[in-house]
Amino acid sequence: MRRRLDPTTPALLGLPLVWLVAFLLVPVGIVAAYGVDVLGLGPGPHAFTFQAWSDFFHSSIYLNLFWKSVELSLIVSAIIVVLAFPLAYYLALSGTKRKYVLLLLLIAPFLTSYLLRVLAWKVILGNQGVLNTFLFWTGIRSPDDPVSQLLYSRFAVMLVLAYIWLPFVALPIFVSLESLDRRLLEAASDLGASRLQAFRRVTLPLSAPGLVAAFLFVFIPTLGEFVTPSLVGGASGYLYGNQIVDLFETGFPDWETGSVLALFLLGVVAVLTLVFSRFLTPSQVATE
Amino acid sequence: MIDEHQAGPGRVSRGGLLKVAAAGGAGLLAARAGVAGAAPARRQAESGQLQVLDWVGYENDMPGHAMFAAYEKKYPKNKPKFTYMTNEADALAKFQAGLKPDIFRPYVGWTKYFAASGLVQPWTPSLISSFKNLNPFMVKAGQYQGKQYGIPDDWGFDAILYRTDKVKPKAKSWGLLFDDRYSGKIAWFDDIGMLTVAGLYLGFKNPWDQSDAQLKQSQKLLISKKHLVRIFWAGESDLWTAFGGGDVWIAYAWPNDWVQMKKKGLPVVYMHPKEKPVAWVGMFMLLKGSSRPKLAHAYVDAWSSVKSGKWLEDNYGYGHANVKARPSSSDLLKALRIANPRAVTLPNAYLDRDIPRRALYAKMWQEVKAS
Amino acid sequence: MNDVALSRNGARLLRAFFALVVVFLYAPIVILLIFSFNDSDFPSFPLSGFTLHWYYEFVTNADLRNALQTSAQVAALSSAVAVALGILASIALVRQSFRAKAPVSALLLSPLVIPLVVFGTSLLLLFHAIGMDLGVTTVVIGHIVITLPYTILVIMPRLQQIDVTLEEAARDLGAGRLRTFRSITFPLILPAVVSAFLIAFTTSFDEYAVASFVVGSSTTFPIYLYSALRFPNQLPQVIAVAVVVIAVSLAVVVAAEVGRRVAERRLGAA
Repeated sequence: MRRRLDPTTPALLGLPLVWLVAFLLVPVGIVAAYGVDVLGLGPGPHAFTFQAWSDFFHSSIYLNLFWKSVELSLIVSAIIVVLAFPLAYYLALSGTKRKYVLLLLLIAPFLTSYLLRVLAWKVILGNQGVLNTFLFWTGIRSPDDPVSQLLYSRFAVMLVLAYIWLPFVALPIFVSLESLDRRLLEAASDLGASRLQAFRRVTLPLSAPGLVAAFLFVFIPTLGEFVTPSLVGGASGYLYGNQIVDLFETGFPDWETGSVLALFLLGVVAVLTLVFSRFLTPSQVATE
Repeated sequence: MIDEHQAGPGRVSRGGLLKVAAAGGAGLLAARAGVAGAAPARRQAESGQLQVLDWVGYENDMPGHAMFAAYEKKYPKNKPKFTYMTNEADALAKFQAGLKPDIFRPYVGWTKYFAASGLVQPWTPSLISSFKNLNPFMVKAGQYQGKQYGIPDDWGFDAILYRTDKVKPKAKSWGLLFDDRYSGKIAWFDDIGMLTVAGLYLGFKNPWDQSDAQLKQSQKLLISKKHLVRIFWAGESDLWTAFGGGDVWIAYAWPNDWVQMKKKGLPVVYMHPKEKPVAWVGMFMLLKGSSRPKLAHAYVDAWSSVKSGKWLEDNYGYGHANVKARPSSSDLLKALRIANPRAVTLPNAYLDRDIPRRALYAKMWQEVKAS
Repeated sequence: MNDVALSRNGARLLRAFFALVVVFLYAPIVILLIFSFNDSDFPSFPLSGFTLHWYYEFVTNADLRNALQTSAQVAALSSAVAVALGILASIALVRQSFRAKAPVSALLLSPLVIPLVVFGTSLLLLFHAIGMDLGVTTVVIGHIVITLPYTILVIMPRLQQIDVTLEEAARDLGAGRLRTFRSITFPLILPAVVSAFLIAFTTSFDEYAVASFVVGSSTTFPIYLYSALRFPNQLPQVIAVAVVVIAVSLAVVVAAEVGRRVAERRLGAA
């Protein structure tokens, strides 16, 4: 194959790349500039300074909020990966004839409206919500004694996030289990391994990349979540993403601190992505 | 029907709810002769639509319901054109970005700031026929260096709403918002006003201008009590959902919130704490360089009328600065203590005022939320 | 072959678990459905009687209709552009060989991992810096960025499936690049293109996070929804809307997936 100056590649990639540079890289650069006060919201002198960053790391408050959000995301992501695994396992390895239909059944809710599914839980969880009034109506609990603290709590945030993301997580796990070479399991069985042993020695290790990918596909977006917390989280469900929004949108915006928080989150996500990049190949995500 | 445009995630305060009025305000007053009586010094033809920067909910121009219907009747060619402000800082940002409205509506805590900023010009009260009927204490709060920079319009209190069947306060005090006995049942306002409240509770002389040490104390109090709080509310409907649904029993609230919860059949009390409630007042301000001052005065005149005032009170549950405007609801009348114009100021309440170190207060409040 | 992975009882257990999860996933939606017909201002038990009132209210709500329309326009425009860009990028990644493939595809797919709160604020700062008004256009811009990776992820595999000798044959017969694309490549990837468009469309139509930062004073459907969620008296109407939107999107998703499989099977990989 001769190597010639081929304008095809730049012609093809030109537009998409320009778009992303202009509307993704440049904006992030601007955020960085705000974080070091090179750009600022109000008029007045601006000089390059790491003051906002230093404040961020020294004051424990925002960092603690970050860890609080990390903890919540970790728990939610772990739970739904654990829940999704048997689902994907069933679809991929039980030989059921309608596996793609069932997979679609599982995933379809994820493709409907996010806000509306959060709404459904708002309707269900309140003190006078569907769940509680059902309990009153059937006499299981008295109206003076509702199951409280369901809504406007960290529990509500975790429940709703799990509900939202569970369908999404099943897909990469399914893909990795599907691509498992069945013959390996047969070989294991021929060699005298029980199903459990085969699972532990063959299936689990081979599907581990899919599990890691699934975990990251949930963990990363939920780190910055602010919509669900703002709708069902109340005061205790106030998370890192909400803080960023507040710093940009409330009564007295502080774009400098907000930029620092946003960039910090982006940095953490970038590091995670790089470290685990081998798990995050397109084949893990692409629909068949 | 919602007339709501949310610019940011859920930021609504003060003017946030538009209700289709059951009490139809038919029969509006035509514009009074007062405006025609004061001959304007210059006969300049002011043209175009009046540019109004206001909170969501105040653009209500449905026939028969408009708070400025009288203005529209008199100047059909200069109907107001609305841009929305989510709060005063947003308005400031819009001015800096080049927006040039004729009128906007900050609240009394910002009057001094805007008056001193050079962005606004004083009103000519003689051009406003209802001016003499406006609450004199509110009028005074709209003055700066002897000139009338703000014309008061809507107002209310910040005080405490609680359910008598679930809550037995130890004292008539702001401390109820910090009561350990009611963990998970308390709602705070999502605003730096909570630092002011903490300051009032701690007995500081001027909670609006706390020293560093005092601010640290207020913040410490709030942080230590944050675990008791179920929700921070930014818009009244957030509060109504949570309070009406039984998730919250105690709240920092406005008078209308009490009226609404009472309507729902809940046994509620609107408590003015002994450290005194805070009174908030919306102030119309006239931008410097406005090419439509005459129209602006006419607009504000329409807003200041008794009829407009009554409509506002009946439909939004806010008080109106015109002391002759009486709401139909006796509950609201009581909650607002409308019969006593002095209700909004000492010794009964603190009129909200300028916070010189607002940015610092904002930072400390954000830290409370993050804690 | 399934005996090596699962015993009969194991399969039964998992099937039951699967059913349970599906019930959990759809129950809230069913609850919305039930209460959309409930004749009461607030969704709670006991039920108050059947009514179509909320559906009527939602249909006659002009604000809501406008919001839906705005969202549809935004979604259509941003998806069209995202698909176009996605086709270009996919062809480059699949058919071309160049050294920077890894970093380029990383960049193209990076919106998938960027927290939307960060992206939203960065766009806000960008538009503020260049003095661009916030509104429908800025939302479209943001949505194109977000949906581009999805289009690439859908179109690329399909492109890989297609036998490259078909294209080479066309070229040998004298067809130019563009002609080859139009007559050979595009028809074969069409199912994936349609699929990509639908995925981008539904993503944009439902997107709230980024829109909340850059929508300015315009109203898309999710923006309207978010406000409505804070107004208890709007709740029944919103529930009616919710049911309709969810039903329609479920139908679209199913139809799209079925359609794509059927079309691809028919077209084959040759």
